Amino acid sequence: MSRLDRTRTSAHQLRPFFSSQNLLNRADGSAQFDFGESSVMCSVVGPSEVKLRDEKLDKATIEVVVRPLVGLPGIKDKAREQAIRETLEPLVLSGLHPRTGIQIVVQTMKDDGCILATAFNATILALLDAGIPLKSILGAVTCIVDNNSNEILLDPTTEELANAKSTHTFVFDNKSSITSKEEQQESVDVATLYSDSTGLFSEEEYFECAQICYKAVQAVHGFIRTAVQKKLEKEYQQIHS
Amino acid sequence: MKDADPSTNEREFLLAALKDGARIDGRKFYDFRTLRLTFGAEYGAVEVQLGNTRVLAKVSCEVIRPYTDKPTEGFLMFNTELSPMASAAFEVGRQTDEEVLVSRLIEKAMRRSRALDTEGLCIVAGEKVWSIRVDIHFLDHDGNLVDAACIAAITALLHFRRPDVTVVGEDHTLEQRNPVPLSIHHIPICTTFAFFNNGERMVVDPTFLEEQVKEGDMTITLNVHKEVCALSKAGGIPMEIDQILQCTKIAVVKVAEITAQIQAALEADAKKR
Repeated sequence: MSRLDRTRTSAHQLRPFFSSQNLLNRADGSAQFDFGESSVMCSVVGPSEVKLRDEKLDKATIEVVVRPLVGLPGIKDKAREQAIRETLEPLVLSGLHPRTGIQIVVQTMKDDGCILATAFNATILALLDAGIPLKSILGAVTCIVDNNSNEILLDPTTEELANAKSTHTFVFDNKSSITSKEEQQESVDVATLYSDSTGLFSEEEYFECAQICYKAVQAVHGFIRTAVQKKLEKEYQQIHS
Repeated sequence: MKDADPSTNEREFLLAALKDGARIDGRKFYDFRTLRLTFGAEYGAVEVQLGNTRVLAKVSCEVIRPYTDKPTEGFLMFNTELSPMASAAFEVGRQTDEEVLVSRLIEKAMRRSRALDTEGLCIVAGEKVWSIRVDIHFLDHDGNLVDAACIAAITALLHFRRPDVTVVGEDHTLEQRNPVPLSIHHIPICTTFAFFNNGERMVVDPTFLEEQVKEGDMTITLNVHKEVCALSKAGGIPMEIDQILQCTKIAVVKVAEITAQIQAALEADAKKR
């Protein structure tokens, strides 16, 4: 079956990834992550001074600011801020930097669906770029259950999202992803960091979506790994040349 | 978190270099930094890089009801909130003086200079008009936000295409026709000057460090027809009239260069589509 965006041939195909780190000069770390025509830029400042009322004695305070492409920040953006902050809090080793603040700013650059998943991936790349100590990395993808065909489509575009019966965004960390081959073929006990579903769906559909997204996230993890590796190689060459 | 002031060494070095006729990034006094324009896949999305300063402009439109006293006037709105992405000194939900000045300047340069034909945005008089919204996102702050934002805004407006509508009786329908460009009267471009050394030394397109050390600044908005659209000198050291005239002469040259570059970029993009 051909997809609505015509560049993909399979329902379980992700759009081409693109990422670029260390783009901004004023931030401590920054990254851009693209899923096809969806693009999110993320900047990280920290660990740095924190407002007295936000100060935590035993760990760093994580602040997330999400800014939409069009218009003023609204409820949707506040919800995304909360989602990203609460997913990252257990991941960041904030105990190493008590009484400091880590500010994360997420800006949508291009919107063609799956902004939350793109934002998660951009954020983790920016945190890695800023050198914030992390327990593990994460990867995120979105899938929908199509209204007409009841098929599960991965990484939908805006056009496809309009035709969705239900939408599911999953975030998985990379610790639970190191599984043996036989496990990957059968259903795995997936460790989910974040899951957000809207619309009408059955229990089976939900778990099927989780499985499919879990498999797709492995590609994202691999991509993030390669991106960081390439960046470090480049930096190493610059130091030693 | 407030921006740290530059150290005495940095400040002295910059001032000494300016006295000797050099800028620390190797530019001449009246040179702009390299300007790079990148267009998005959809109409009306432009990313501008002026040296290390980075601005993203996005134009969008919707149909709304006009004011009763101006039934044929469309709307042009700007959203220029400084995000903490540009610099940690900008806080969310709290306007700094700089932010107010930047928004006011862009408003003056773009809207009050009547660069966009708002009458042309009318669909049904007194009932329906287009409202054009320009969201300007500041991504990286290395000085001269105003010029970068102005270039981004006008390029995005030039690049933008709104859907074509057909009026049937009182109603309008969006059609599957080719989207139409906005009618833009002229292209206002801002040129910012910073003054040092009691106003004896002036530079075009100051970087963030130069902005921190400067004694005063002035922004002139011109178009290619050598018409002054806006002039803003908010405080700073007093200046002589001759000097302001000299600034305008420099700005005329810069505006011509930038306009040519914008048009070349737009043409190159149009060919690709």
